[in-house]
Amino acid sequence: MKKGLIILISVIAVIVIIAGLFIGSYNGMVSKREDVESASSTISTYLQRRADLIPNFVATVKGYSDYEQETYTAVTQARSALQNANGAAEQSAAANQLDSAIDIWVNAVTEAYPELKANEQYRALTDELAGSENRIATARKDYNDKAKDYNTSIKKFPRNIFASLFGFEAYDYFEANEGAENVPQVSFD
Amino acid sequence: MKRLLSIAAVLLVVLSLCGCETEEKYPNHTESFYVNDFAEVLSDADEQELLQKAVALQNATTAQVVVATVTSLHGEEPYYYATELARQWGVGNAEADNGILVLLSTGDREIFIAVGYGLEGALPDSKTGRIIDVYGLEYLKNDEFGKGIKAISEALINEVYIEYGLEPEAGYVNIDMIPQQNTAETGNVLVSWIIMIIIIVILSFITRGRSGGFFFFGMPHIHTGSHGGFRSGGGFGGGGFRGGGGFRGGGGGFGGGGAGRGF
Repeated sequence: MKKGLIILISVIAVIVIIAGLFIGSYNGMVSKREDVESASSTISTYLQRRADLIPNFVATVKGYSDYEQETYTAVTQARSALQNANGAAEQSAAANQLDSAIDIWVNAVTEAYPELKANEQYRALTDELAGSENRIATARKDYNDKAKDYNTSIKKFPRNIFASLFGFEAYDYFEANEGAENVPQVSFD
Repeated sequence: MKRLLSIAAVLLVVLSLCGCETEEKYPNHTESFYVNDFAEVLSDADEQELLQKAVALQNATTAQVVVATVTSLHGEEPYYYATELARQWGVGNAEADNGILVLLSTGDREIFIAVGYGLEGALPDSKTGRIIDVYGLEYLKNDEFGKGIKAISEALINEVYIEYGLEPEAGYVNIDMIPQQNTAETGNVLVSWIIMIIIIVILSFITRGRSGGFFFFGMPHIHTGSHGGFRSGGGFGGGGFRGGGGFRGGGGGFGGGGAGRGF
């Protein structure tokens, strides 16, 4: 009788511990995944913000004859590519495209019309553009940190069991694009 | 041989990532928290004055304006270094994210003002850049680092007062009221201040009762989102006075916002 009770209590205790472990792991993974998702949407917000700045920029520069129409075409193309992009990978690729297109265009404009540098509106807009880029870079770094945290957590025991059971999948990282990193490129050939 | 070099390179990268130098790279803040003059560009009197103003601002608004001068950014981009430092020090209140870090590197000849999330509406990047141009760039170009960083920090402190619906220091005029073409010509700025004050006084009679700011000289007013006036119930948890002397940060958030200049 007494022995039976002890066994019963032990069994219940084991079940409770497992259930607790399970719930804790599950909730932990869910909240970490939410962190990654929110970091990802922050990136999208800043990408959009930067894309929205471009028309302002054009309006300011327009007074200066042809505002480098040639290089600007690449910007409009990259911009519409970003708006039509689906999924994180495609969006990231399109954003990088836009990055370099804007850089080339802004450099071309500034070179052709150096007097623009003294123009207050131009300065204001370059500050806003630079700020957008810094925010995007910071948001990507934050995303990577969160994604690393989450990815590590779902690969560790015992969470890996629950993770595979409930389809928690690892997130991809953002690659640092040119200029953003100071780490030398290493090749293995 | 190539392979050996590659391995050496990998080792170097790994070593640089292991965090051996992070402690030095991002120094801890000083006891006074608000003024961290590691590059020693401020006079003692200026340092005291800035500290007092920053403390007064924190007491009135919970916002924190923190100054840091370093001799090197250790190869990082100014925005990155400033954002990282501001996050580590927890500049600003955790709830309102109302921190500002003014970073000057004498070795890199760079200045960057990192603006916390909560103040991005009051200080959009364009305005932050303009504050540097108008108040400090000439000083900095002439190697008068102390004067430059003090003038910029004081302007920021006043802008925060204005954002919280409080009176700025006597003589300070909202930067939006300063005409745009006279950038960085201190003499002209002074004259234009006087003119502006007269115009503001006249306008305040005309537009009495109308809320919100005026629009001057067609300046592009890019608002990344406005945030309300003075938070009366905002809590003074962040940046409070710590028992043993010295201040500290309240854990405010930064997202890379702000503006910088090389000089």
